[in-house]
Amino acid sequence: MDFEQYPDHRIVGTARVPDERPRPSAPPVPVKIIVAGGFGVGKTTTVGAISEISPLTTEAEMTMESVGVDNPGPSSTKTTTTIAMDFGCVTIDRTLKLYLFGTPGQSRFAFMWDDLIRGALGALVVVDTNRIDDCYPAVDYFERAGLPFVVGVNTFNGQLGYHLDEVRWALAVRDDVPVLSFDARFRASVRDALLVVLDQALHKSIKMNSR
Amino acid sequence: MNHAGGLDDAGRQASGVRPFLQTPVPAPTPAVPVDDNSAALRPFVITAGRVDGPDSEIQLETQVTIHPGAMPTRLPPEKRAIVSLCVEPLSVAEISARLRMHLGVTRILVGDLRAAGQLEVHVLDSDFPDPETIMRVIRGLRAIS
Repeated sequence: MDFEQYPDHRIVGTARVPDERPRPSAPPVPVKIIVAGGFGVGKTTTVGAISEISPLTTEAEMTMESVGVDNPGPSSTKTTTTIAMDFGCVTIDRTLKLYLFGTPGQSRFAFMWDDLIRGALGALVVVDTNRIDDCYPAVDYFERAGLPFVVGVNTFNGQLGYHLDEVRWALAVRDDVPVLSFDARFRASVRDALLVVLDQALHKSIKMNSR
Repeated sequence: MNHAGGLDDAGRQASGVRPFLQTPVPAPTPAVPVDDNSAALRPFVITAGRVDGPDSEIQLETQVTIHPGAMPTRLPPEKRAIVSLCVEPLSVAEISARLRMHLGVTRILVGDLRAAGQLEVHVLDSDFPDPETIMRVIRGLRAIS
């Protein structure tokens, strides 16, 4: 039988050759924007329109205490909830990468928002004017968390059912929260909506740094 | 006026304010009970039943790479798969999606591999990005057409 000799002569016995594993390149600094909204309002379309990868889905299986943390004992059973989350990314340059996370806007998913908004630049709340109340929990949450957010009315088929002023009135958001319309199918439209989110984030960051 | 539609509807129509703003104390969200726990719990078998990650700083977008100085070691398939993916920097969310592994499980295993010196987890120092970083994102997005 003809065995081929071990190709790498450097590997002898148990000695480990340095640089055996390729050294990974330095990772980029990640920044993230949340895309929130009810089912079917166009979150995945929004993420997909701007992302350089087709939106990936991750299943989050998170636990939550069904009772308060101060109450251990037999009643402190943990339950799990599964949700699917879409995300995409945009490489800004070799050292900076923007991630977009699409998350359901219903309040029953709020348990994972604490985690999600940590370090987030801001949020784009996608609104379908036919089901405007779907986004109430997300708006409430971001408002109280102090996360910069923008309300983006998705104009399905280029049609805007209501005036933006009416949407603002219905949502009762603060005056400094931008309410805009965009088309989730078009990259340039999504980009412009995200730029408004970034503008809000910039204001917050400057305010924080000047303190 | 029809009040049968429930308090929420009536309240909203009356004042045009989100119902949440009218309630002084937000009601805690009731936990959603899971009917069938067996299927939901199975992924956590590979984490030896642990559901809480040791590293709360491991976020969805946190970048993970292999540790250049890691000693080769025998790893279970799930962990081996993670390590082999991280030859190039990858976010926790991408690892989870590519391996079709639950996010919670991925986080725990990444935490384990970090503790074992197999992976480098690049945790950011600051919580909110500085203005320069945001400006770079803005310029980068503007360049997209």
